[in-house]
Amino acid sequence: MSDLATALVFWPSAAIMLVTGLYVFRTRSMARAGLLLLASLGIEGLVFLSLASEFLGVLQLLMMSGEMVIMVFFMVMFMADPGGLMGMDMTHDKRRSAAVAAGVAAALGAVAVATDWPGTVVTGAAPDIEQIGFEVMGRSMLSFLFAGMTILFAMVGGILLAKHGGRLGIPAPAGEPRDEEGAP
Amino acid sequence: MSNWTPFAILALALGGAWAVACVEQAVAGVRVAPALVLRRAAEQLDQPLAVPAGRDAWLYHLAPPLLLVAAVVALATVPWAPGFRGVDLSTGAILFSAALAYVTPSVFMAGWGAGGPLAVLGGFRFIALMLGFAMPLAMVVTAVAAPAESLRPAAIVEVQHAVPMVIVQPFAAALFVPAAMAVALLAPFDLADATTELEGGAFSRYTGLHAGLIALARKILVLAVAGMTAALFLAGWQGPLLPPAIWMALKTGAVVAGMLWAGRRLPRFELERLLVVAWIVAIPAAIGVIVLAGLITLLFYR
Repeated sequence: MSDLATALVFWPSAAIMLVTGLYVFRTRSMARAGLLLLASLGIEGLVFLSLASEFLGVLQLLMMSGEMVIMVFFMVMFMADPGGLMGMDMTHDKRRSAAVAAGVAAALGAVAVATDWPGTVVTGAAPDIEQIGFEVMGRSMLSFLFAGMTILFAMVGGILLAKHGGRLGIPAPAGEPRDEEGAP
Repeated sequence: MSNWTPFAILALALGGAWAVACVEQAVAGVRVAPALVLRRAAEQLDQPLAVPAGRDAWLYHLAPPLLLVAAVVALATVPWAPGFRGVDLSTGAILFSAALAYVTPSVFMAGWGAGGPLAVLGGFRFIALMLGFAMPLAMVVTAVAAPAESLRPAAIVEVQHAVPMVIVQPFAAALFVPAAMAVALLAPFDLADATTELEGGAFSRYTGLHAGLIALARKILVLAVAGMTAALFLAGWQGPLLPPAIWMALKTGAVVAGMLWAGRRLPRFELERLLVVAWIVAIPAAIGVIVLAGLITLLFYR
């Protein structure tokens, strides 16, 4: 891609990515928040593609769609107010979380600015698939497996805690309709 | 790849959708009337747009274009003939899966945005279905790519010059076709719209241009998954005597007709049973197919 085409894809994509990312926390609806996050992270795939990182871009598009749809599904399933009709707020513990967010953003920004990025220009189809394969199946295998198992445990644990009666499986108190049977 | 490629793909999408509609008529046993398809489409575009009352109307308006974009991108990754394809990436097979992955959010957006109970139910049904079937689809694509040692669809077609992949990896084909039909919203997997029980489900509120875009996108999706099935498993454009593009068109047409015929013959599956099949049979089987593909590649393709 020429420099102009790269710029024409990169800057609008990056802008939409940031704006949709911001609106994730401005909306009150779980479905909207999840889909905005999907827009933000999916468009990040276009940013990768515009930077000639073909494999990462396509993979980002594929994985984010699947993951964010699962997230929408689970959020709508577990939240008491998935449509945002009762004025729920996406932000909690505002002062401290704002401080943490500002700190993390400043640290990441400092890393991005301070890093001595390589100046080589990548053109055409980068042969990165093979390198990524050897990286994932070689040196980094243990950390990827560890991360995968951690996420799996967190998912199973989250579902167990969220289901009626919590992890002990205590039946619902009398008079309160159970989710599975109560709904007409 | 030239400046005309996008126009060629759009022409292929429109012409292909028309052809799929004609095959649909033939499979349904009614007289094939290509002009009638166009007249119906024109009548549909004359209707006014329906606007939902809910607060998520923007999701409702965004869903048909997203579905159409996903379908056209999936179509563009299919290798139609040597040298003719929309996007020729070395990761084209993953881009195909990635494009199909956006069918799920668009169906959910259609259902959620419309706001009616049956529409929301249709959207959720489709998410549940695709959580089970998207994974075998993507995994089978990698299994087919293994003998070619490339994720470029054209390379996968070329590696089948001697034996079509459906003979080498029949289990992969058996997993791919139902998953592809499910993602293309075809009967008997049409749980999202299910005309006879949900009265259109996720798409029930759409009229006019919206409905036209969705109908077009669904036909393009059928063409894309059928074309990819022909390319990945039936040796694509390869064949004796006839020119490559004709072979590809014949194989794709046969797959389209087969899928639509199966949809008319089989009753709609129940979601719970389909999910049991997907999670307990299809996903472990897809892992087995990948292992088998590795063995086949090492034994016969090296």
